[in-house]
Amino acid sequence: MKDHADNFLPLSPATLHILLSLAAEDLHGYGIMQEVARQSEGKYKLGPGTLYDNLQKLIQRKLVQELGRRPGDDDPRRRYYRLTSLGRGVLAAETNRLGDVIREARLRLQIAKPRRA
Amino acid sequence: MLRSFYRCLLRLHPSGFRQRFADEMLSIFDHSVGRPAAVRLLMDAVVSLTRQWTLRPEFWHEGPAAQQAAPDGVPSFCSLDPFRPRTGAVIQGLLLSTVLFFLICFAIRYSGVHVLHVRIPEARFENQQSIRQDSGAAEGSFEKPTALRSQSAAAIDSSVANLSVPARARHQDQASDTQNRASHSSATPNAQREAVIPVAKSQTKLQKKSVRSPHVSPATPEAQAQLQPDMGTAADQSQAQQLISQEAAGTTVQAASEVGELDGAARDRVIRGAVADLNKYYVDPGVAQKMADALLVHEKNGDDDVATDGAAFADLLTKQMRDISHDRYLMMVYSAVPTPANPPALSQAPSNEEVALYRKEMERTNCSIEKLQILPHNIGYLKFNQFPDASICGTRVAAAMASLNHADAIIFDLRDNPGGYANMVALIATYLFDRPTHLNDFYDRGENSTEQSWTLPPVPGNRLADKPVFVLTSHSTFSAAEGFSYDLKMLKRATLVGETTSGRGHMGMGHRIDDHFTIRVPGVKVVNPISNTNWEGTGVEPDVKVRSAEALKTARKLAEKKLQQN
Repeated sequence: MKDHADNFLPLSPATLHILLSLAAEDLHGYGIMQEVARQSEGKYKLGPGTLYDNLQKLIQRKLVQELGRRPGDDDPRRRYYRLTSLGRGVLAAETNRLGDVIREARLRLQIAKPRRA
Repeated sequence: MLRSFYRCLLRLHPSGFRQRFADEMLSIFDHSVGRPAAVRLLMDAVVSLTRQWTLRPEFWHEGPAAQQAAPDGVPSFCSLDPFRPRTGAVIQGLLLSTVLFFLICFAIRYSGVHVLHVRIPEARFENQQSIRQDSGAAEGSFEKPTALRSQSAAAIDSSVANLSVPARARHQDQASDTQNRASHSSATPNAQREAVIPVAKSQTKLQKKSVRSPHVSPATPEAQAQLQPDMGTAADQSQAQQLISQEAAGTTVQAASEVGELDGAARDRVIRGAVADLNKYYVDPGVAQKMADALLVHEKNGDDDVATDGAAFADLLTKQMRDISHDRYLMMVYSAVPTPANPPALSQAPSNEEVALYRKEMERTNCSIEKLQILPHNIGYLKFNQFPDASICGTRVAAAMASLNHADAIIFDLRDNPGGYANMVALIATYLFDRPTHLNDFYDRGENSTEQSWTLPPVPGNRLADKPVFVLTSHSTFSAAEGFSYDLKMLKRATLVGETTSGRGHMGMGHRIDDHFTIRVPGVKVVNPISNTNWEGTGVEPDVKVRSAEALKTARKLAEKKLQQN
């Protein structure tokens, strides 16, 4: 499973944010956009074109599942999306990879600091 | 407004993407607040549109399940075949079609087919008719001479008139002072340029002015009697041929009602003028130089001193030039009566009245089509006795060719054809080819220019392009008729049956040297693109040599034999 998930790595920033936003709950497209903006504190804004282009690919790769419309929603045009177990595995693998990257980066940055004699 | 634009952009997306996400994207647009946000979404849609069409071919089409989800129950068109070409295949096809496109363009550019831009020259071949008109003038056979000049001027014009040139802007420059006959005061040689004569029966006076011929006649019977016997009284075509032979023997057309006395200075002036004209206009520069040298040597040696009268001097110069060139159409002409330098009437285009007269005459003679028959074995037979101007006779000749369209073979009878217009040669030849075909070039030495003659684009519905063709020739076949025969022979499109033709592949014009002397210089030659030469002097050799009278019989036998083989 893990090996399989590694095949998708590394993820693009958009993909990473979409998977991350779907990690907690099922969301519709607009919800994903808002969640991404919240996660990045407004620094990363995902347009609908990019969002649905990525969703299209993620659905095809079976990292995300389309749930369809939900009755009683504010806007009946919205469809919901859910992270599949494979998607969750990929997200975990990417998180680990990024953790290694961050750790390595911190280590390098500490070494690079000028030492006081 | 922005929403509509956004919807349009969504509609332009690939169907797979549109059906799946367009509603949701529109929903997001509807939740956007403020114009800047809407504009950002529009930009995003444009980027998305580009991305989906260029980078996501695998999502262009959606499976049937998605298509069934078409909203509102509106019927929609969809393809059940999920096949779509690989991206690589699409790119390969694009490259291949581009390469093919350029290859075809290249082939068109460098193939021989340039007809769309090729103007058929207006030049016409020399016309034997004009020689008959010489004799006609001598006989006073023109019914109503329209320009009553003196008999000698008539002879001069007649002799000049059978020189033909490209019809464009050729004017005759002649001295207007007809009384100053003895002074020889015109020191500068003026070109006496005579445009070509149209085709017309020798018994008619109809001429187009652009191709003006002498509307002249000896003024009196006495004057006729004084004409050289060489002029003959030829009224039919066999005698016209005789006249050519006489010219070849060195006789000069002259109307010697008066005989001018010449001194050395006058002779020298004529010789200098002749040398200049030869070097400027004669088709073969090398031969021209040799002739010029010979004239000067003869003068230096005193050979010309014996010729004290103009006629004898003209004869002598003609002989001296022909001894070198053997060109029987090169000639010095003497006129006792001064030739006008610039008669205004002759430098104008033909008047409408004259064109109408020519047209009327062509209607009367059915454009010289003598016989148009379907012979036994479905062999088409067309006997025509000139190549008339296609701008006048094109329709009539086209109708004649159309009536032969279902023949299995064609015989063109040119045995009595003295030539005519190159545009008619091209028109008739058009029916014999399935593509525009290069017939020949006209090289003008004086202007150092070449004009091409091509057949016209194929005639729709024409069935003659691959039918056997036979051309009947005789010793009288002349000029354009020889050109027609020669072109078809070179293109291996026809079998020539009969006699060797006259041998006139050059065209020339008269150049006025002074009031009394005019030199006729062949200055335009036909060059066949296959042989790179022409039939000047030699005539066109038939493929099957038989007497002229037997030609039709022989050709019919050959045609029947050929049809049986097929």
